Amino acid sequence: MGWILRRIAISLLLIWVVSSIVFLAIHLVPGDPAEVLLSLGGSAPDADSVAALRAQLGLDQPILTQYLHSLSHFVVGDLGDSLSDGTPVMSEALRRLPRTLELIGAAALISTAAGVPAGVAAAVNRGGPLGRCFSALSGLALSTPVFVVGSLLVMIFAQWLRLAPAGGYVAFGEDPLRHLLLLSMPAATIALGLWAQIFRMTRSSLLDVLQRDFIRTARAKGLREHAVIMRHALRNALAPILTVLALNVGSLLGGTVLVEYIFNWPGLSGALVEAVNNRDYPMVVGCIVIISTLFVSLNLLVDIAYGLLDPRVRAR
Amino acid sequence: MGSTFSQSDPTAASPAKREREHDMTMLISRRGLLGATVSLPFLHLAEAAAATSDTLKFGLSAFPTSLEPFLNNGTSPATMRLMMHRGLFGYAPDGTLRGELAEHWENDGGVKWTIRLREAFWHNGAPVTVDDVRYTIETVGAEKSTAYLRAQMQDIVKIETPDPRTLTLTTKTPIVTLPLWFGSYYLPIIGKGSWKANAPGEGAGPFVLGDVERGQSIEFAAFDKFYDKSKPKLKKVRFIAYPDENLRVAALQAGDVDIIDYVPWQAMEAIEADARLKLESTSGPFMFLQFNFQRKPFDDPRVRLAVAHAIRRDEIVKAAFFGRGAALEGFATPDNSPYFEPDLAHDWRYDPQKAKALLAEAGVGDGLKCTLLSTAQYGMHKNTAEVVQQHLGEIGIAAELTLPDWATRVTMGNKGQYDIAVQGTAWENADPESYSQLIDGALAPSAARSYGIDIPELGPLLAAGRSEFDPAKRKQIYRDVQRISLEKCPYVSLAWRSQGYAMKKEVQGFVNIPGPITFYSGTTLEQTTV
Repeated sequence: MGWILRRIAISLLLIWVVSSIVFLAIHLVPGDPAEVLLSLGGSAPDADSVAALRAQLGLDQPILTQYLHSLSHFVVGDLGDSLSDGTPVMSEALRRLPRTLELIGAAALISTAAGVPAGVAAAVNRGGPLGRCFSALSGLALSTPVFVVGSLLVMIFAQWLRLAPAGGYVAFGEDPLRHLLLLSMPAATIALGLWAQIFRMTRSSLLDVLQRDFIRTARAKGLREHAVIMRHALRNALAPILTVLALNVGSLLGGTVLVEYIFNWPGLSGALVEAVNNRDYPMVVGCIVIISTLFVSLNLLVDIAYGLLDPRVRAR
Repeated sequence: MGSTFSQSDPTAASPAKREREHDMTMLISRRGLLGATVSLPFLHLAEAAAATSDTLKFGLSAFPTSLEPFLNNGTSPATMRLMMHRGLFGYAPDGTLRGELAEHWENDGGVKWTIRLREAFWHNGAPVTVDDVRYTIETVGAEKSTAYLRAQMQDIVKIETPDPRTLTLTTKTPIVTLPLWFGSYYLPIIGKGSWKANAPGEGAGPFVLGDVERGQSIEFAAFDKFYDKSKPKLKKVRFIAYPDENLRVAALQAGDVDIIDYVPWQAMEAIEADARLKLESTSGPFMFLQFNFQRKPFDDPRVRLAVAHAIRRDEIVKAAFFGRGAALEGFATPDNSPYFEPDLAHDWRYDPQKAKALLAEAGVGDGLKCTLLSTAQYGMHKNTAEVVQQHLGEIGIAAELTLPDWATRVTMGNKGQYDIAVQGTAWENADPESYSQLIDGALAPSAARSYGIDIPELGPLLAAGRSEFDPAKRKQIYRDVQRISLEKCPYVSLAWRSQGYAMKKEVQGFVNIPGPITFYSGTTLEQTTV
C-alpha cells in the first residue's frame, strides 16, 4: 500500500512540475494577452484600455502572485477562467477532451481493423504481389503528411463527389448519422499513418513468430494453416502490435492539432493552439494539465498493474 | 465651424415599399420552394442537410473571442454585434450613414447634438429610452472601461434628456463626426444595467442570441419586435466557425453552408466559375508599411520616401492577393470618396532612381541594414513582406525579415521593436477623420501605426478637420493632410486588397458594403433571404 501511495505522490509531483513549467514558459513568450485581445480588430487600442484590461484580468500582478493564485485554485480542481471570454477552463477542456479521445479511438479502430489483416496477408504471402502492394502503400501512407491526406479527402468526398460534409461537428445525440459522417474523414486521415505502422509491425512480428519451433510443431501435427496463423502465430505476435498502438495513441493525445484544424473538429488540441495564439494563459496551462494528467494517470495505472503482477517491481 | 443642420432617417420604409418587399419575399420563397421540390431527388447528401428557406448557415472565418459589446476584438465579434445590437446610427447597404435607433438628429453648428430616438424595443420587450443611451455612453467612457471608443465618450461633457425619446449631447469641442462614433460597431446601444464582463448586454437588433457552442457555432433567432417591422426576413441564422480558409470554401461548395466571409483570394476564380455560387467583393482594406520614427535613419522623411518609391506594388497584388487587389501609390483614399485627390494619387509610384537619390541625399546612399517586421501567421502579411524585402534590396536597403506569430508581432509593434513593418487595415469609416488612426502622432504608441510619429504639421490639421462642418473647408483640410503625408510618409501605402463574401445563388439581399466599411456587411443580414 505504501508503494502505491509513493507512486501516486510521484505522479502528483510530476503534474505539478509540468504545470509550473508550462505556466512559466507561456508567461515568458512575448505577446501580451490584453494587447492581443484589444487589437484583434486591427486597430490601435487605447493604452489606458489595455491597462484597465490587464488589471481586470489580474495580469498587472507580479508573476509569482499570479502563479501562487493559480496554484491555490489548481489544488481544488479549479483551472481558472479563459482570458478571452471568462469560460471556466475545466469545463471547456472536459467538453473538448472526449471529442479528441473519440477521434483517436476511431482512428485506432480503423487502423487496427485494416492494418492487422493486411499485415497477416503480407506475411503469409511474403514476396507476393499482395504483400508488395501493401508495402508500397504503407510507404506512401507514412510519407504523406496528414494535411495533404486531409485536404485530399475534403476535395474528393466533399467538393467533387459531395458525399460527405467538408468538416465540422455535430453531437452524436443530436444527429448520429451526421456525427459519424463528420467523424469519418478526420478519423480516416489519422488512421492512414497509423495503419501503415500497424501493418508493418504485424507483418514483421508475424514473420518472426512464423520462424519459431512451435509453429513448425503445429504444422507437423497437421493443423490447418489458417488455424496455425490465427490461433498460434498471430496471438503470439500481438504484443509488439499493441505496444505500437498504445505509443501512438498516447502521442496523438496532444498531436491531433492539424487534423482538428483541417476538419474543424473542436477537440482539445485545437483549443490549445487557439489559446496559445491568443496568449490565453489559463486555457493553455489548463489544457496541458489535463493532457499531462491523462498521461501520468495511464502510466500510474500501468505501474500499479506491473507491481501487482510482479512483486519484484514493488521491491525496487 | 459651419451652419446648423438636421437630418432624419431617409431609410424608414413606407408602407407601400414594405408591401413590395413583402411581395418580393413571397415570390422568392415560392420560387425557392418550387425549385427545391423539383430538384430534391437529385440533391446530394450534404446539400440535403443544408439550410431551409428560413434558416441561413454562415461560415465564419473565426469564432468570436468575446461577445462583449464595446471591445475592438475583430470582425467576427463585430458581425455578431450587428446581429443582436443596433447603435444610434448604422450603415445602409450603399455605405451611407443612416439612423438606426436615432430617428432624427441635428447639430446646432457647434458642440450640441440633439437626437430623437425612434420607437424601438429591447430583446426583453422593454422600450428603448434615452436612459439606455446615457447608460451606454457612461459605461463606455468610465475610468476603468476597456471600450475601444472610451476616449471619444469622455469628450461628451453633458447629456440632457428632456423626454424619454430625446437627448442632447454636448461635446468639449465641435465634433462633426459624432454620428460616426455612434454608427461604429464598437458602440452599440445596450439596455440600462445590462453590461457585465464577457456578456453581450441587452440588444435591440434584428436577431436574438441563441445557443452558443464555444469554438464552434452561434445561433440567432429573429426578433419579432425589431423596430423595422419588415425585418428580419430570416427566422434563424447559424454561424459556424471555419478557421481554415480552404475548408470554409469547401463547406460552401459542398453545400454545408450558404455563405462565407473572408473568401481566400486564390479561391475567388473558382467561385466565380461555379454556376451555383456568386462572389461579392469590394476593395476596402489595404496593406501598408510602418516606420519607427525613433530609429535612425527612418526618422528622416527622405529615407521613408525612398522606401515608398522602391516598391513595385503590382507584384504585391500578384504575390499576396493572387491579383485580387490594386496597387496603391498614394494616400489610401478610395477613388469614390469625395476626399479623393486624383492629382495626389500616384505620388509614391515606383521610381528606383529617385529612391536611390533620396537615400544618397540622406547620407545612406552606400546602403543600410534594417529589420522588417511582419508575421508568419497570416500569409498576406508574410508574402507582402517578402516582396518588400526583395524590392528594398534593389535600392541598397538590406532588410532582415522578422516573422513571429501575431501576438508577438503586436507586442513588438507596440514597443517599436522594428525599423520597418508590414501591416494591413481598413479605415474605421468612410470619413477622413479616420486617417488619424495611421498618421496622428499624438495618439499612444500602437502596433497599428508607425512608432513615434513626429510630423507636427498634421496634428492641428486633423483637429481642424474634426471640428469643421463646412464640406468645402473640410475637403481643403484633408487635401493638405494627404499632401503633407505624401511628403513626410507617416506610413506608406502598398496595395488595396479585395474583401469578399461568397454565397449560394439563392442567397438574396446580402450586400458586401463597399469600401472601408465592408466589415459592416453583417448589417444586411437583416434583409437577407435564402
